[in-house]
Amino acid sequence: MQLTESQAAVLEAARAEEATSVDAIAERADLPPETVTGAAFELEEERLVAISERVEETITLTDEGSEYATATLPEIRLYETALEAGADDEPVGMGQVIGQSGLEGPQVDIALSNYARKGYGTIDSGEITADPDGEPSTDAEAQALESLADGGAEDGTVGLEAAGVDEDTLSQLERRGLAERMESTVRELTLTDDGVTALMEGLETAETVGQLTPEMLTGGEWEDAEFAEYNVSADAERVEGGNVHILRQTAERVTDVLVGMGFQEMDGPHVDADFWINDCLFMPQDHPARTHWDRFALEAPTHIDHLPEELVERVERAHREGVGEDGEGYRSPWDEDFARALALRGHTTSLSARYLAGNEIGEIEPPARFFSVEKVYRNDTLDPTHLLEFFQIEGWVMADGLSVRDLMGTFEEFYAQFGITDIEFKPHYNPYTEPSFELFGTHPTTGELVEIGNSGIFREEMLEPLGVDCDVMAWGLALERLLMLMYGFEDIRDIHGTLCDLDLLRNTEVTY
Amino acid sequence: MPTVDIDPDELRELTGHEDKDDEQLKTDLFGLGLEFEGLTDDGEFELEFAPDRLDRLSVEGVARSLRYHYGDARGVHVPSTNDPDWTIVVDDSVPDERPYVTGAVIRDVDLDEESLESLIQLQEKLHATMGRKRAKGAIGIHDLAMVKGSPATEGNPTIEYVGVTPDGDRFVPLDSNEELTPEGVLEDHPTGQTYADLVSEYDRYPAIYDDLGLFSFPPVINGKRTEVDTDSRELFVEMTGTDQWTIDKMLNIVCYALAARGATIESVRVEYDVDDLVRPDLSTKTKTVAHDRIETILGIGLAPEEVIDLAERSGLEAETAELEDGDLAYEVTIPPYRVDVLHPLDVIDDLGRAYGFNDLEPKYPDVGTVGGRHERSRLERSVREQLVGLGFEDLLNFHMISEEENYERMGIQPGSDVYGGGEPATIKGPYSEDYTMLRTWVMPSLLMVLERNTHRAYPQDLAEIGFTAALDDSENTGVGERRRIGAVLASHEVGYEDAKARLQALCRRFDVSLETPPTDHPTYISGRTASVVIDGEDVGVIGEVHPRVLVEHDLEVPVAGFEFDLETLR
Repeated sequence: MQLTESQAAVLEAARAEEATSVDAIAERADLPPETVTGAAFELEEERLVAISERVEETITLTDEGSEYATATLPEIRLYETALEAGADDEPVGMGQVIGQSGLEGPQVDIALSNYARKGYGTIDSGEITADPDGEPSTDAEAQALESLADGGAEDGTVGLEAAGVDEDTLSQLERRGLAERMESTVRELTLTDDGVTALMEGLETAETVGQLTPEMLTGGEWEDAEFAEYNVSADAERVEGGNVHILRQTAERVTDVLVGMGFQEMDGPHVDADFWINDCLFMPQDHPARTHWDRFALEAPTHIDHLPEELVERVERAHREGVGEDGEGYRSPWDEDFARALALRGHTTSLSARYLAGNEIGEIEPPARFFSVEKVYRNDTLDPTHLLEFFQIEGWVMADGLSVRDLMGTFEEFYAQFGITDIEFKPHYNPYTEPSFELFGTHPTTGELVEIGNSGIFREEMLEPLGVDCDVMAWGLALERLLMLMYGFEDIRDIHGTLCDLDLLRNTEVTY
Repeated sequence: MPTVDIDPDELRELTGHEDKDDEQLKTDLFGLGLEFEGLTDDGEFELEFAPDRLDRLSVEGVARSLRYHYGDARGVHVPSTNDPDWTIVVDDSVPDERPYVTGAVIRDVDLDEESLESLIQLQEKLHATMGRKRAKGAIGIHDLAMVKGSPATEGNPTIEYVGVTPDGDRFVPLDSNEELTPEGVLEDHPTGQTYADLVSEYDRYPAIYDDLGLFSFPPVINGKRTEVDTDSRELFVEMTGTDQWTIDKMLNIVCYALAARGATIESVRVEYDVDDLVRPDLSTKTKTVAHDRIETILGIGLAPEEVIDLAERSGLEAETAELEDGDLAYEVTIPPYRVDVLHPLDVIDDLGRAYGFNDLEPKYPDVGTVGGRHERSRLERSVREQLVGLGFEDLLNFHMISEEENYERMGIQPGSDVYGGGEPATIKGPYSEDYTMLRTWVMPSLLMVLERNTHRAYPQDLAEIGFTAALDDSENTGVGERRRIGAVLASHEVGYEDAKARLQALCRRFDVSLETPPTDHPTYISGRTASVVIDGEDVGVIGEVHPRVLVEHDLEVPVAGFEFDLETLR
């Protein structure tokens, strides 16, 4: 029979004819008691030993009890001092006796209250007498303390019977807080017949291995090795490891979806001329959004150096006169200097304008799809759902003869990838798209109708000056909005920016 | 987005649909693009509106749109106008900056509290939108009974639009009992103070006179004498501005709203130096819309009679016509209250709304294109993957920062010749002192995150591939925008070597050569700082952060880090 070393040692230390306690076996086998207990249960499972359990009462001295066991009980010290002071002849002043006894603090009260009870003498009107027949050497409590101190096991416990202390004395010690009674389970092992047989047939033991070492692998010792069992259900030390930012994960997922739908990525300046941010989008120069305080104009530098001259002329003409035979322009001022002013882009539609104008990668021929997931800047009040900087998903499709149905179909496909179905299209107004729609979706958990994007077909007044003579449909959406919908985050500031909480970033579920 | 308050009871009355409950009205309004935002204290609907249909800034205009929506009204309706009796004479003294005026007389007015409130709201909303906060156009409405026209040559009553010197004349403005000069109004009257900027640069201030004297100081405030109340039965409406078309359109919207309440419109003659106008101009205009274009944009086939029906249900009128090449088209008549129709596409949008965009079946566009990422974003993703593999927490910080965080707390000076010391691109009139410029490097953001998270478990190994910007004359915008890789290691036992080991690993993976010759940088401990030299080019800095900078950020553990330009791994 193959047993572990500890199992074999326990089996050998056990007897068939008498029950042996775990502690006794531990002593015989030179093993820690907990190892013996573990091995005993394993052997019981193999039916090699039988385990019986009984509850044993034990007594332990308290710290105070141990102290009196080595020194003396306060009342005996008082009696001895009183005798020396001659209190067996005539009463002596209590103060004098206590002073000589060296008793202090609470011990004085303890001594006085037990002195009379045990008949060592009397205390009356501040004077103390001592009974000449007092026998401190036969004081039951003192003797009990002594025997408990001597007979105790290493942990200070003494079996109730082994102590030989009578019940009254024990109760008295407990009341005085000098000893404590406790119950403990004692397990005893007896060899079964199978156990005896196994022992007679001889035991094979396997050495258990803690750590697998290079030497064991190269020397071949691993072949006979028995691996010590770990507590595999316990928690291990915490490791953080690296982690891609949750908002970046969402951006990456959006990028994956769009690339899969045939979109090419755009890139371009964050600081840009109003010309690209607004004028190319047929936004009149006196439009409230352009003078509004939510725009981040630059203090330094103030203006872009160069704009494409011909394009500037065409854009100005569209603003002033409109496009087409009966088109009309805006009755608004238009000034090139105003168009050259620099700002942080309020939307990435500025990139779309640059690409459509052929300014970035040359003329783009239809059909084409482009996108970006990049930062935009709005001078808004910071609150749980608004940041001064956020990511805008911008996308457009260029082809001949696009309809609003194509636009709806594209968005349904896109949002379905994020589990958002049943999109509603609310007719809307944008200066640079017509028709325009706000997109609404149902929040997956709250069931609330929330705005999830803004879209439309670019106006001819925007496309014609840019040199585009087919249809372009476009849409924009805040990435953070999508993130909050997907995760149910309540405060975007915990996620994005220098106010972020590292624990939140470390503990947020991975998205895919 | 702007909002307008509409009383649902008035809406029921004006549409003639007493049967509609509040919920039905909300749904119908959403269909028009007016989103219900909540109830006002008075129980009115607060509706968010898109700033194109400015003819819907009052309950009268919303009711008109709903009547078309319900099919109770069709086609174009133009209220009749009586011949002009009154004349506005534009004097040579009118300030050049605000030369235009228009007006109308309204008779048979019956204003109750609600309709007066609605008229005031319409005036305010027009000021805020088309009027560009009164700069482009401002409205004055007066009780005609209190205006005394001077007899002109033909015997008709006349008022005058003139320019006056700031202290030229006195009148009692609204909400006051004191006679003030225009200048005094700008200085002492609350409304005057609000709008003072509009005229304070003018040599002469705009003013309107009748036989009794100055009674309106546009665009700032009206006189108290002609104040309108519920007893007013006849109104004089005047508008001044910087563009004739704009104020004429604003006037049309006001006239339509009053006509909807049963009032009669009477024209006014406006006498300029060179020619005379008769206002309001309630003429319609037309747009030629190609049938083919309608079908393409909506993505459906339509019969001509369907198109005509959709137009009439939108409050337009359409007749079939022919394009030069013989293709089918429509001459579409646009009513005088519409200010948003610039192009045939705007008409197609109306037709689509009348059809019901949500009734169109979505389809995926049948065009094939090849997708792909920008090279920069591919590079960024690869570097991020490597950083995460090296154990860094990937961060996303703001691009805007304060000068204090970007420079001072890091121990460097703006415009100094150290990494991160570039001249800042600064924000004009920043709203928050925490965000006044674009960060010139990533390291300050990383230290701010460490500062915010001292209660979280260490080690804190953070990295960011981040946008940075600094002044650069060689760029068209004057701003050099760079992506930079920043990384910090913060724990009880961390040092230069730990940072260097990770930087080496990163450089190995991108197959570039790395050298780190010693250098000095105020953010780092002297003797433990090096330049990051990649393929022979000095592109960054690596080191142990100086205790002065750590203590400044309330950090109680050492921090080592590096930062260099992303482009160098390309």
